[in-house]
Amino acid sequence: MWWRRKDREEDLERELRSDLELEAEEQREKGLSPEEARYAAQRAFGSVTLIKEDTRAMWRWTLAEQFAQDLRYALRQVRKSPGFTLTAVLSLALGIGANTAIFTVVNAVLLRPLPFPEPDRLVQIWETKPFQGYFRNVVNGLNFLDWRERTRSFDGIAAVDGGTTNLTGLGDPLALPGMGVSPNFFSILGVSPGLGRSFLPEDGLPSHEQVAILSFGLWQSRFGGDPGVIGRRILVDGEPNTVIGVMPRGFMLPKLNADIWRPLRIVRSKEWEGGRFLEVIARLKPGVALEQAQQDLRAVARQSAMERPESDQGWSAEAVPMLADATENVRLPLLVLSAAVGLVLLIACANVANLLLMRAAGRRREVAIRTALGAGRRRLLQQLLSESLILALIACVAGMASGYGGVKALLAMIPRERQLPRMEAIHMDGWVLLFAIGISIVSTVIFGLVPSMQISHVVPHAALQTGAIRTAPRSLLRQALVVAEVALSLVLLIGAALMLRSFHRLVSVNPGFETHQVLTMQMFTSPAKYLDNRKRAEYFTRMLEQIRGVPGVEAAGSVHFLPLEEQMSGSCFGRADEPPPIPSRAKDANFLVVSPGYFQAMGMPLVSGRIFQMRDGFGTRSVVMVNQAFAKRFLADRNPIGQRLNLCWTVENPAEIVGVIADARQIELQTAPQPTIFVNNLQAPMYFAQLVVRTTGDPGRMARAVEAAIHRVDPDQPVTHVETMDQVFSDSVAQPRFELILLLVFGGIAGLLAVVGIYGVVAYSVAQRTREIGIRVALGAQSADVRRMVLLEGAVLAVSGISIGLMGALALTRVLRTLLFETAPTDPATLAFVAVTILFVVLLATVIPAQRAAQVNPTTALRYE
Amino acid sequence: MANNPVDRIELLQGTLDMLILRTLQFGHAHGHQIAKHIQRTTEDILQVEHGSLYPALHRLERKGWIAAKWESAGRDLKREFKYYRLTPAGKKQLVAEESKWKQLTRAISRVMWPAQEG
Repeated sequence: MWWRRKDREEDLERELRSDLELEAEEQREKGLSPEEARYAAQRAFGSVTLIKEDTRAMWRWTLAEQFAQDLRYALRQVRKSPGFTLTAVLSLALGIGANTAIFTVVNAVLLRPLPFPEPDRLVQIWETKPFQGYFRNVVNGLNFLDWRERTRSFDGIAAVDGGTTNLTGLGDPLALPGMGVSPNFFSILGVSPGLGRSFLPEDGLPSHEQVAILSFGLWQSRFGGDPGVIGRRILVDGEPNTVIGVMPRGFMLPKLNADIWRPLRIVRSKEWEGGRFLEVIARLKPGVALEQAQQDLRAVARQSAMERPESDQGWSAEAVPMLADATENVRLPLLVLSAAVGLVLLIACANVANLLLMRAAGRRREVAIRTALGAGRRRLLQQLLSESLILALIACVAGMASGYGGVKALLAMIPRERQLPRMEAIHMDGWVLLFAIGISIVSTVIFGLVPSMQISHVVPHAALQTGAIRTAPRSLLRQALVVAEVALSLVLLIGAALMLRSFHRLVSVNPGFETHQVLTMQMFTSPAKYLDNRKRAEYFTRMLEQIRGVPGVEAAGSVHFLPLEEQMSGSCFGRADEPPPIPSRAKDANFLVVSPGYFQAMGMPLVSGRIFQMRDGFGTRSVVMVNQAFAKRFLADRNPIGQRLNLCWTVENPAEIVGVIADARQIELQTAPQPTIFVNNLQAPMYFAQLVVRTTGDPGRMARAVEAAIHRVDPDQPVTHVETMDQVFSDSVAQPRFELILLLVFGGIAGLLAVVGIYGVVAYSVAQRTREIGIRVALGAQSADVRRMVLLEGAVLAVSGISIGLMGALALTRVLRTLLFETAPTDPATLAFVAVTILFVVLLATVIPAQRAAQVNPTTALRYE
Repeated sequence: MANNPVDRIELLQGTLDMLILRTLQFGHAHGHQIAKHIQRTTEDILQVEHGSLYPALHRLERKGWIAAKWESAGRDLKREFKYYRLTPAGKKQLVAEESKWKQLTRAISRVMWPAQEG
């Protein structure tokens, strides 16, 4: 029988009333007075309200109804105390937002699988030379062939020769990231062109037609998305190539990005014998474990080393899963940041739990009355939790919004030239939303359950006695929460302070060159046009002359790798009085190819001898320069000037050292200057060069005039990466700066939350103890005594939190070691500074309640009851 | 601390349902009569809490094992009581619960008094 809710209520009411009357009648029959009989009947029944509640619970829709009722009540509570709500929601939204933002990045960069079929089977293969500390070294062509022919663990192995490609004949010359790839490159990745065909094994044969595949982006921007591009001939590096395919939108490797792919043919010939510059990708056979493939590779590499000891002795090979390989440098920083935002959220939860506890203490009477009226423990808990849930819900929405803003801000902080791997994939997806909702629920349980558990223990008759609220302030839990907050925020702030100190040390490093008023740009000379070394050298000389003629230019030169961009060449050498150097056994040094004018443009001082001159060239004897680190390491016992070296570099040997230049940082600011040999670009010209131009005024304004000068010599040579050296410097510390800013922000939020927490607890305890303080004052306590008492309460909390936090920091900041520059993770000065600062700030926060306590008027306080 | 209710013999979970069904086998009865009948028959050993009785009645009604109707009491025509009676489904349910209960008590007594069992 199902009738309407209202009827059911009336029916139950009527049923209970009739049975109650009957019970009373029976009691009367036993001889009780009508009054006594009614009471007796009621005692026998117990709480009618509870019976009703329990009976209603049997009706099917009650659960949902209770929930709706709780929500309505909770919303009323939320509206009734906007200050409380705002504080709680703000704390939580900050925590949830920070976590959501960081998770968005972690998800896109570290967690989301690579966009290829069965991405777990994709690996990158490197050469290694463990005893010299070379890991993840680029690969020699013949070794690549050995791996391809002799290993049994891979479905396919492909080589990649990355670099810049010039695209001409379409208006402005374009320098694009281009790649030579083994024809099976795309099939290993499991992606076919969206338009046209992929490479065939015969593509790239010398007699065959030259072919190229374009990226979706290039096809859209330069060819207007015209499907007729297939079969069209384009000029790539000055050579005609037929377009055979266009890759689908979004196709890219995490690190090896390109707009043009051309087949790369590697054969067993003299050309591929020396040098290591290939990147190698491979796909594991199904069911082959990485370790198995590893052993396979190492065995093959051992064989190569036996066959070609002069170039391969000491070298081995290693396969690394592609995703891990691409994200290796960012994994630790991202995990540290994840931990940091996790702590922020914990602190926010502790803060909100504290706020709820305080409010709960004020609501003991309300709960007591509800209990007395027959509210069950479960029902009370349910209601309190639904209040927490409302808070979490609002905070979750606000958190997602702030997380969205946070991601935007994060991405804006990453310079264009120093992108994170897979950064293009960073966006909020379903997983991120799920994560945000998940942490909101977990937070609710953390901050909601603690006060709920406490309040549902309220005993009605104790709580309802007048004044009972005041005599039983249960503050231990609150104090513990505040101590935890202080400890956690101390850990975070110490982490941030260490990063700050490290960053300050890093940017204070003298790089060894002048970064101000220097313009840099990159260019790549087309091999088709300037294949001849002399022609290329002449081209560079003419171009530099043109640039030097531009008004406002003080000096101009070129280098093949710009400093602080994590690029360096290495090769071997021997003194001319020693036997000729053999690559695997000879001494190693860094090599940089620079033109005359480079050192003046960079402001690198000459220590002794002379610098490169325009007269050094192919007709004259080979000259090189070295840096101080080189002279100290290899020529400490003699005057370096005039020493003759045999170089494993395409230059006429022997070469004479004509000058020693002061040390400068090259690879990155963190790495001390290493022994370096400078080769003259006029005697061993490279195809690509970074132009360095010192200007008298703002270098940024000179860019156009310099480009015009370059194009006066050859309009077909494109210029890219136009940047000032200041920008290069700033970009080179972008990652530590990024980590620092985030840790500072998170540490700041954490510290702020902790201070608010301490203030709240102390202020509340003062309010609760007004009567007690009044008695003390009445009994003769001075206001200074009262003030000291309150300050002491804050100090005890702070010192406990700080001690625990310091221990935590000692244990945890160790993970920062590799992120820190010349700063110990336990740097005592930093630890002490942060601890003292926190103590000071916390005491400052307790001054207000202490002042209030000191002004308590005993008469008012005691009359208060 | 809270005043815990005085100890009493608590009905086993689900037993009350069976007792109600069994009581209604004698004919229709209202809530009060059902409670009194159980108390009287067990010589007051089993106290039926009103707090459990009404929820149980409504639960059984929802399951369709009993049906309810407002009727006037025989001796006092002015007053109406909500009378419950067993439905055919309820009868079946009672049989099922009875046999389950028999099995349970037999099993328990085998453990408690092993010697008496053949």
